[in-house]
Amino acid sequence: MNAADDKPDARSWRKAYGLALSLFAVEVVLLYLFTIRFS
Amino acid sequence: MNRLDYLVLIATILAIPLYGLWRTRGSASLGQYLKGDASIRWATIGLSVLATQAGPITFLSMPGQAYESGIGFIQNYFGQPLALIVVCAVFVPIYQRLKVYTAYQYLGERFDQKTRLLGAFLFLVQRGIAAGITIYAPAIVLSALLGWRLNLTIWLAGGLVIIYTVVGGTKIVSITQRYQMIVILVGMAIAFAVAVYRLSPDLSFQGTLSVAGTMGKLEAVDFSVDPHKRYTFWSGLIGGFFLALSYFGADQSQVQRYLAGGSLKESRLGLLFNAVVKVPMQFFILLLGAIVFMFYQFEKPPVYFNQPAYQRAVESGYGPQLAALQTQSDDVFVQKRAAIRALSSVSSNLSSNERDVAMTKLRALDTQAHQLRSRTKGVLEQAGADPKSKESDYVFITFILQQMPHGLVGLLIAVILCATMSATSAILNALGSTTAIDFYRPLIRPHATDHHYVVAAKALTAAWGLMAIGVASFASLVENLIEAGNILGSVFYGSILGLFLAGFFIRRVSGSAVFFAALLAQTLVFVLFATTNIGYLWYNFIGCATVLILAPALQQTIFRNTEASAGA
Repeated sequence: MNAADDKPDARSWRKAYGLALSLFAVEVVLLYLFTIRFS
Repeated sequence: MNRLDYLVLIATILAIPLYGLWRTRGSASLGQYLKGDASIRWATIGLSVLATQAGPITFLSMPGQAYESGIGFIQNYFGQPLALIVVCAVFVPIYQRLKVYTAYQYLGERFDQKTRLLGAFLFLVQRGIAAGITIYAPAIVLSALLGWRLNLTIWLAGGLVIIYTVVGGTKIVSITQRYQMIVILVGMAIAFAVAVYRLSPDLSFQGTLSVAGTMGKLEAVDFSVDPHKRYTFWSGLIGGFFLALSYFGADQSQVQRYLAGGSLKESRLGLLFNAVVKVPMQFFILLLGAIVFMFYQFEKPPVYFNQPAYQRAVESGYGPQLAALQTQSDDVFVQKRAAIRALSSVSSNLSSNERDVAMTKLRALDTQAHQLRSRTKGVLEQAGADPKSKESDYVFITFILQQMPHGLVGLLIAVILCATMSATSAILNALGSTTAIDFYRPLIRPHATDHHYVVAAKALTAAWGLMAIGVASFASLVENLIEAGNILGSVFYGSILGLFLAGFFIRRVSGSAVFFAALLAQTLVFVLFATTNIGYLWYNFIGCATVLILAPALQQTIFRNTEASAGA
């Protein structure tokens, strides 16, 4: 694999990490809303 | 447990290893034995990583933890998704590029042999003990409640694991963990549904959650910066990040799981799967504990869940004292049940002030129930019926044995044994591989054939398995061993992580500088552990930060004339 092939691959992995991070943020927000609702 | 339960239990715990043995029949090369083969996909890797971390403690202790102190423990996992992303981006590509069998081979390539051996040695010490605790922890609870002999329970879980892990290596560990984890998830989902179904009809599900929240069981997120609070968003995010980074990046029992399959894409997807599902999974396990707590607000609980220890104290002549405590506990239970019913049934007619008064009364009654349990524990200690495990570990298993239908009881005991077997197999596989690749091959037989190393890895895996059973068999001699096991990881992980991060991020540093920095960091952590009362999650940060500060400092001073190699 050369450097040019690596670039789109690295971009798509950055998107995947961003998605995982966003999902984690949503999980924390939902847990916080759960805490407010039931405490 | 009846015959149906035993049938479900035996069929479940035997079928998965037998299927694994069939799938991995035939001889394997060294690469296949230590890293599996290319057919292992991300879903198997993801479930395997999940199963390695979960272990029996998760399914025995977590619901009890929520029963006792609420679901705030979830915050300890908040650093994990971030750590897994760092492992995907930094650690995995380096391991894949170097085609290593163990994480510690990287230290040898980047620094020198002594640094590699130090990393591998620290791993072997703490995981060698942890393997015994992983077998012992569920065995002590199951043997006490089911009347099984402790040694028989230890051999049942440990013996089977040794056989299939030795025979099949990494591939069988991945395959069995996949199906064991599916059994675990299905079993826990059914347990959750049955627990909700068994809740009192006096309250709706939402009403049940409201009351549980009122009693302080549902505080999932706490942004407090008070250092005395045990679980907060910040301690979980920062302390949990370093713990998870070390565990997933530098602990061979995890590294071996995601290097199975050999493709960077499959490894990363398996880890990202964990980054997304871990927090929700732990939430539902903890919520199950809160639901069991609400179940016991309407169904009379025992004053002490560890009934075998309680019975031993009664037989030692402490019956009258314990009976008096049970009577008081029953009285508090009746008052609490009445208070919950009053609060929920007429809550719409209560003024805000009256509602606050009713809630305060309910909380006071719950505190009384707590105090009665503590006094009961005190009597048990006086009687010498001193329980070796926490009382809360007995809450969920008592609920299973007393409230679940037959068949499901067998399945849920199988869940606990599957969790034990999956976590133990991963640890033994990693211990055997590390000893063979990082110690045996370079130090004892450097130029033997691949077949020779496969045989050596098998023999060493078996030896570690027998040692784990030995540790489990003698574990009852040591007080608070399970808690010690939890702390043990954090005591060693910081220095190990420091070695790897120094390799990745400090460009000009020699093996000697990193080696002595790690030794000094480890000594500092030991001293802090012996002399202070710092929360153990912080040892990860302190150990790691000390290596990263000392290594460049030593390089610039004592090892100024030693050639420093550039970063990976």
